[in-house]
Amino acid sequence: MYQLDTLDSAKAFLASLLIGIAFGFFLERAGFGSSRKLTGVFYFKDMAVIKVMFTAVIAAALGLTGCMVLGWVSIEGIYLMPTVYGAYIVGGLIFGVGFVMGGWCPGTAAAGVASGKMDALIFLLGAVIGSALFNEMFGLIKPLYEWGQAGVVLVYDTLGMSKGAFNVLLSIAAVLMFWGCEWIDRRKTGQSLGENASILKTLSVAVLTLAVVLVALGSGQPSGERPTGPMGGVISSESRLLEAIDMAQDHIEPEELADRMLRREPGLVVVDIRPVVEYLDYHLPNALNIPMKDLHQALMPYKNVGTIVLYSNGMTHPVQARDSLYRSGYTNAYILTDGLNGFIERCLTPVSLRDEILPPETTGKIRAWRSFFLSSTAPQPEPATPDEPLPSSPLVDAPWLEKQLNRPDIRILDLRSQPEYNLSHIQNSIALNVENLRTNIDGVGSMLQPADMLARHMSAMGIRPVDTVVILYGDKTQDATLVGIALERLGHTSYRIVNGGFAAWTLAQKPIVSDLPVVVTSDYPATGSDKFSVDYRTVLEYVQSNRGMILDVRPADYYMGVKSDEARAGHIPGAINRPYTEDLVKVNEIPQFKPVEELAKAYAQIIPSKDSTVIIHCRTGHQASQTFFVLKRLLDYRNVLWFDAGWSQWAARKELPVE
Amino acid sequence: MENQDMTKSRYMNPYLAGVGLGLTLLLSFLVLGAGLGASSGLARIAACMELCIAQAHTLSSEYFGKWGQNPMQYYLVFMLVGIFIGGLCSALLANRIKFQIERGKQSSVRLRGAFALIGGVLVGFASRLAQGCTSGQALSGTALLLTGSFVFLICLFVGGYATAWLFRRQWND
Repeated sequence: MYQLDTLDSAKAFLASLLIGIAFGFFLERAGFGSSRKLTGVFYFKDMAVIKVMFTAVIAAALGLTGCMVLGWVSIEGIYLMPTVYGAYIVGGLIFGVGFVMGGWCPGTAAAGVASGKMDALIFLLGAVIGSALFNEMFGLIKPLYEWGQAGVVLVYDTLGMSKGAFNVLLSIAAVLMFWGCEWIDRRKTGQSLGENASILKTLSVAVLTLAVVLVALGSGQPSGERPTGPMGGVISSESRLLEAIDMAQDHIEPEELADRMLRREPGLVVVDIRPVVEYLDYHLPNALNIPMKDLHQALMPYKNVGTIVLYSNGMTHPVQARDSLYRSGYTNAYILTDGLNGFIERCLTPVSLRDEILPPETTGKIRAWRSFFLSSTAPQPEPATPDEPLPSSPLVDAPWLEKQLNRPDIRILDLRSQPEYNLSHIQNSIALNVENLRTNIDGVGSMLQPADMLARHMSAMGIRPVDTVVILYGDKTQDATLVGIALERLGHTSYRIVNGGFAAWTLAQKPIVSDLPVVVTSDYPATGSDKFSVDYRTVLEYVQSNRGMILDVRPADYYMGVKSDEARAGHIPGAINRPYTEDLVKVNEIPQFKPVEELAKAYAQIIPSKDSTVIIHCRTGHQASQTFFVLKRLLDYRNVLWFDAGWSQWAARKELPVE
Repeated sequence: MENQDMTKSRYMNPYLAGVGLGLTLLLSFLVLGAGLGASSGLARIAACMELCIAQAHTLSSEYFGKWGQNPMQYYLVFMLVGIFIGGLCSALLANRIKFQIERGKQSSVRLRGAFALIGGVLVGFASRLAQGCTSGQALSGTALLLTGSFVFLICLFVGGYATAWLFRRQWND
């Protein structure tokens, strides 16, 4: 099966063509290659549109629910369009007018052209013009296009009923509609149902039976090992809870968790519910520390998304926490069998200390687990330092930072100008001029320094590899992301950017000081493996082989060559323009990042998949660092590359192609 | 009248055709991980045409620009071609291919042509606004039980029934 990720492959294109052929075939079979027949529905002359369409919808909806109940497919594997209420209402109304006026819709018109209908061809020409018109007017329409964004919303959730119940309701509505349509058609034509009657009766019985059977199956069988909300089985009753406990479906074994964490499984959320002192002493890597009383609120974002694993030293508290979550509708919360104590005993006891003789496969696993779980967060002479202070996205706000101020493993960097910093800043924050992180390399004056130079800056500022660096910018978000990309070069991914910068702090009326901080220099190692920076040779290879995607984030007039500050004007052949400012929104004149959902949506439309290779560049690498941060850290794109030297080098090297 | 009935009887039973269409849609969910679509293919063609006319302008435009220089390399373009081929096969088998501008006997080619063109423009525009057409939203989206798709479907019929009377002349016999 293909995932959405691979919809741009040749195989997917072929599959789409074949599916299209079946689609077109049935449209024409049904008589939808005729505009007269199609529009008949609006004049109550021929109700075939409703009959065919609702049969198709109900067949596909019940079929899909069936496939999910059988575990053949999960909802995560299917692209669900987000709902935009305002745009869909206006769009639907205009579409309806266009449909009845033109006599076609896009799919049927394609089938209509195939059967020689010239009005379908004219209609399609109109639709192409309409699409282009939309593009030309997009600037004007955008507010409407985004009006009423609600994310992915399922209709049974909107109506507050279970999926099974909605399926039954939809089936009943469809069957009633079919008989209603037959009644209308019979009145018009005066014909009796004839052979239609037996088909319709069979269909009605089949649809209603299937819907009811799916309800029974759906609630009787939690689908697979990871029951999630939108899937067939909605589990809510107390007896279902007890049954799940009885079957130990609420447990996850230490070995399984160890493997899944080792693989860095996305969507796996490990929660440590012990007191913070114990957590700081040792915890599983990346585990979130959430007190019992805050669980419901803190885990909201993970409700029925991915897998939540709760642990404590033993089992009692996690069991209570898990049951409580379960009662609130969490179907993805699990407890770690035998708790942290069991985990350490079963997974992290060295091979040499074990009584039994283990097969080589197991000893290899134990070694891998030990090196993964004991390397960075093992109890150390100095106070242990967690690598994840609190659940948080790479973007944080002022209240979050305020809570972290007294932690020993937090370093705050203030990127404003020196006078601004000297006047007032956050206690213990360190001033940094981002230009200090750049130097001349290979004749290009604006390059990010190599790892060893950056490491010395980190040492001087007292930053250690275990620290979380919190960055506040002045008026340029890209300053913060340039520091971020410098940290990335050192392999230091534990950094946070305060959205809104220092202004967000003052706006929230948080305390400020004017004393300079006491900095204890550290010894930051110059290791780290930068696998994301590329030079012009690599970019040229991508251009010539037409692979990957080049994202030019400069302002549009520079991209188009209308303006230029460099040796040549224009852009790299094949590059796509998405100005970095598109990812920002100004609040009180201070730029900040747009909501992640909005960014995710925008980039999903530009970049085919999360695995696509994307090379980002601007003029000097500064603005590009921001898009790098957005794609890599906010949106989890996996293959993001950064062409630091950017347009200033590309334009100056006359042998390189320009468009 | 009799002629019409003859034609009618040659169409597939609507419920059987509906089941066929539904299974095609299900197959699309299972194989592609996405539903059916037609209007996106048309929009891609529009983007391609705009690229031919004004490349720089199109690439820098906010909506089409993000599709890059090869907007046609998209699965729904292939699906649109498939719909045409599938329609052609079915029409050939049923001997239904006839070059004509379908309209009522009393209606003029000009009226029907103008309505088809303007209707097309509205549909093309609305499909972009609602991010889908009868295939992507009304059919695929409702089968996925998405709230937005039901909203779209309801509004489509409201818009259609509310204005049907205005465009009835093209079907006058």
